[in-house]
Amino acid sequence: MRRISKFGWLGGLLLLLLGGVARAQLLFPPPEFESGYRMPVTTTPPGRALWLQYLDVGVLAACLAVAVWLIYRPRSRRGIFWLSLFSLAYFGFYRKGCICPIGSPQNIAYGLLHPSYSVPVTVVAFFALPLIVALFFGRAFCAGVCPQGALQDFFLIKPIKVPAFLEHGLGLIPYLFLGAGIAYAATGTGFVICRYDPFVPIFRLSGSFFLLAAGVSFLLIGMFVGRPYCRFLCPYGALLKLGSLVSRWRVRVTPETCTQCRLCEHSCPFGALREPAPPGAPAPIPGERRTLGWLLVLLPVLIIAGALAGRALSPVAARLHPTVALAELYARQQQHPVVYGVMTPEALALARMAEQPGTVLEAAADLRGRFRLATAIFGAWFGLVVGIKLILLSLRVSRTDFEPDPGACFACARCFSSCPSERVRRGLPVVTVQPPVPAAASALAK
Amino acid sequence: MSEPTVQPVAPGPPAPPATPPTPPTPVRPPDPQRALRAIAWIAGTFSAIVVVTMLYFHFTAAANDPWKSPQLLALRARLAVEPKNEAVKEQIRQLDFQFRHQFRQRLARDRFGAWLLAGGAALAALVARKAAESTRTVPLPQSERERLGLPKERPTRARWTVAAVGGVAALVLVATALLLRTSLPADAAGWRRLAGQVDAAPVAALPGLAEVQANSPRFRGWDGGGWTTGTNYALVWDRKSGQGIAWQSAIPAPGHNSPVIWGDHLFISGGTTAQREVLCYSVKDGRLLWRRTVEKVAGSAAKLPEVPEGTGFAACTTATDGRHVYAIFANGDLAALNFDGTVAWAKSVGVMKNSFGHASSLAIWQGTVIVQLDQGESGSSDSKLLAFDGANGRPVWQQTRTVPVSWATPIVVEAAGKTQIITLSQPWIIAYAFNDGHELWRAEALESEIVPSPIFAGGLVLAISPTSKLVAWRPDGAGDVTKSHLAWTAEDSNAPDVSSPVGNGEFAFTVSSGGMVSCVELKSGTRLWQHDLELSVQASPAIVGDRLFVLGEAGAAVVLSAGREFRELARSQLADKFLASPAFAQGRVFLRGETNLYCLGPTGKDQ
Repeated sequence: MRRISKFGWLGGLLLLLLGGVARAQLLFPPPEFESGYRMPVTTTPPGRALWLQYLDVGVLAACLAVAVWLIYRPRSRRGIFWLSLFSLAYFGFYRKGCICPIGSPQNIAYGLLHPSYSVPVTVVAFFALPLIVALFFGRAFCAGVCPQGALQDFFLIKPIKVPAFLEHGLGLIPYLFLGAGIAYAATGTGFVICRYDPFVPIFRLSGSFFLLAAGVSFLLIGMFVGRPYCRFLCPYGALLKLGSLVSRWRVRVTPETCTQCRLCEHSCPFGALREPAPPGAPAPIPGERRTLGWLLVLLPVLIIAGALAGRALSPVAARLHPTVALAELYARQQQHPVVYGVMTPEALALARMAEQPGTVLEAAADLRGRFRLATAIFGAWFGLVVGIKLILLSLRVSRTDFEPDPGACFACARCFSSCPSERVRRGLPVVTVQPPVPAAASALAK
Repeated sequence: MSEPTVQPVAPGPPAPPATPPTPPTPVRPPDPQRALRAIAWIAGTFSAIVVVTMLYFHFTAAANDPWKSPQLLALRARLAVEPKNEAVKEQIRQLDFQFRHQFRQRLARDRFGAWLLAGGAALAALVARKAAESTRTVPLPQSERERLGLPKERPTRARWTVAAVGGVAALVLVATALLLRTSLPADAAGWRRLAGQVDAAPVAALPGLAEVQANSPRFRGWDGGGWTTGTNYALVWDRKSGQGIAWQSAIPAPGHNSPVIWGDHLFISGGTTAQREVLCYSVKDGRLLWRRTVEKVAGSAAKLPEVPEGTGFAACTTATDGRHVYAIFANGDLAALNFDGTVAWAKSVGVMKNSFGHASSLAIWQGTVIVQLDQGESGSSDSKLLAFDGANGRPVWQQTRTVPVSWATPIVVEAAGKTQIITLSQPWIIAYAFNDGHELWRAEALESEIVPSPIFAGGLVLAISPTSKLVAWRPDGAGDVTKSHLAWTAEDSNAPDVSSPVGNGEFAFTVSSGGMVSCVELKSGTRLWQHDLELSVQASPAIVGDRLFVLGEAGAAVVLSAGREFRELARSQLADKFLASPAFAQGRVFLRGETNLYCLGPTGKDQ
């Protein structure tokens, strides 16, 4: 959830302290002399009407239902494509990316730790619905409901295959981003996942240069690497991935027999197809068992080391919190006084702080304590993710057919029509492949 | 290309093979792939052009910040000098309107460009997808043997990659933690100290006014006016017999600052490019009690500013509130030292843009240290007036001054029911509120570069416009009081360019660098007399009771009657060079020469 009215104060503080300098260039200061002009009272636009918020939830639920139906019944890529375009138009360009589940874990985390903040029902719905669907049907949300995914999918022109080892390595980043986003939300710092969403400025056709450049870069990369943000950065995707791993029903390339032709593997631009284990594969050799054993021992070590390292990171991490940043500015000013210009954000912040320095410093000290815990948990989470990933990579594969990885599969339905068995089952013409033509024959043909 | 010719076939033996007929040129059918690719290229090129254009406008707009426009800055500077100039205001309004109009145009252009880009990019992507799909080749199904030949090391590579990504992420985080050091304390005591709850050493209570007046805590006495009511000062001495010279001590560090006295402590500072230090002498016998180098000051510039030798690094007189002695040097280092010579706190206020070297002395009032940092050009925001809590060095407030460099020292006065800080810099006399630093009033009065400091005498603020005039303003106004609160102007081409005036409530005296002494009636501004002492004078004169004390650069000290008529009472001599102003306390006169410190008054035997 990107804009929650109850967070207006938080956003205001963050903007003033962190974005003030950049935004100052766009603002016009009041006149420097008395001109008789009366400055208008600053107003804020009213929040979105409740029924419209419920409408958003209804649209989300309907889109999820349609996506599930398209994936499991007609198994239609075309249908998923058109659904994703609708989602792009509605949740992307109409709602301007400002009600979507990607940032909602932050609201939930903040709400759980701050009783004074009640998470809106619509936010809970946006957080929970795609997750519940993932628990039963896989990543139907990613397939055709997520506007960010739809935008990237639209620009996917000539996909290239990312090596599997790189895919596994970069696949860690969403979990780190998720951990950092929740840690910052839990400490009341702000919603960094929303703040650094590279596609929202595109939906709004306006935004900071940095984020616009990041969004365009993702789209340019996405012309060749399928959905780079979804695969290597999206924190909500990481949650859906976990949910999909235990989903009740899973997407299959074909309900019929797999001929293991590997055509589906080539049709997937996201590297989500997994090969089966070789038939009659031998039992794990002692070396593999030893590796697994070591990794199991390494897991608690990684968790503890991560927690300690995260705790050491807390003073720096806390500086993103506006109150700590203000205290930091104040402390720096005590040690190395800097004369700031009139009406600059720093000068205003210091002037505010000068009124009650003790209160701000007390709050900053308290926040530093919270950050020690939050960053320790984040570090432990980091260690856990790395450890679990290493262990999963050391387990034996028990697949007998080519199957989409339930976690990595976006359920985009591209692979269905590439499968000869599936085409036969659906009564579609099977793709015929022309054998390569010898060069001499080719010349004669001309 | 010509049409192929058709040869008639004749009966009979087969003819030798003839040149095969040229086949007809096939009419190329419409190629949808080619068309799609062309459309994609055109749309892509269009989008790229839009992007480049938008980037160009973005960066040119960022570079041309309207609020840094030379035209606007010039108008602002002019408005600062002429705050009631309606024509300047109107020009600023028009410029402001022009900037806002340009800004709105830029927003509209950005929005239009964004829509163009969105449309172009969408079309390019859509068509390119179609073109790519139609040319995509489906690979051949792979054989079972190929499938079984999957490399066995694949999980190992993935594991190493995961470990590498995790390691790199951890390294980045650790490096961030190491590089971005926090200024906040790590322990509870540090937080308390930062909050001003100093628990390291209790700070003594501030001294009362009587105690302040009994000492000489800053440049030119307790209030900076250069006067003392004491009558027990013997202002004559005999260099040869030593009569009237209580003691003299060598000064091991160069500097032009004046002595500051509190109790048995006399403080001066000295400085070179090698080191800056504070020295403490015993008032009783002139013994050097300690000297402390001010070094390793946090935030101090690594490179020292270039300061002319005539000014040096220690031109600013120290100040004390009876708890600490405060010193500032030309490199911007500001330090507070305890009376035992230990450093209480130190900080840098930055290197000043002052080609002649910083020389404004510190002012002290009720435990607050006032620092006037006038520097740079007129209209810039480089000049500041800063107030620090003497107990812990915490900034109390700061005020930006749009004035050029000056060398005058501020004074703090109680006037019109307010505690005012009076400052000078061309062309303004500006008064600030002591409690929060806001500007109370200003008067346009001064020309040339300002070195003489203001004084408060006879209920008037007096300031010297070098080689031009002595002016007096009533300090009870608000805003621009240039015309409303001017008491009088005493034109004087001999108005000093270095030394400050002195007054006793009835008369004001000035001494020019050439030794011309002028007396002006404070009530009317009428010049009563003027006399050439034929001395070179840099030190400011002082009034001791009913006598005017003038110290010549070459060591001649002249005592005059501080009255309506010129009358020379005495003349003494010391063998030293004197640029610093004298200090008076405890019935003694303290002079800083180039090589020695002198205490003039009763000798040890007399006491």
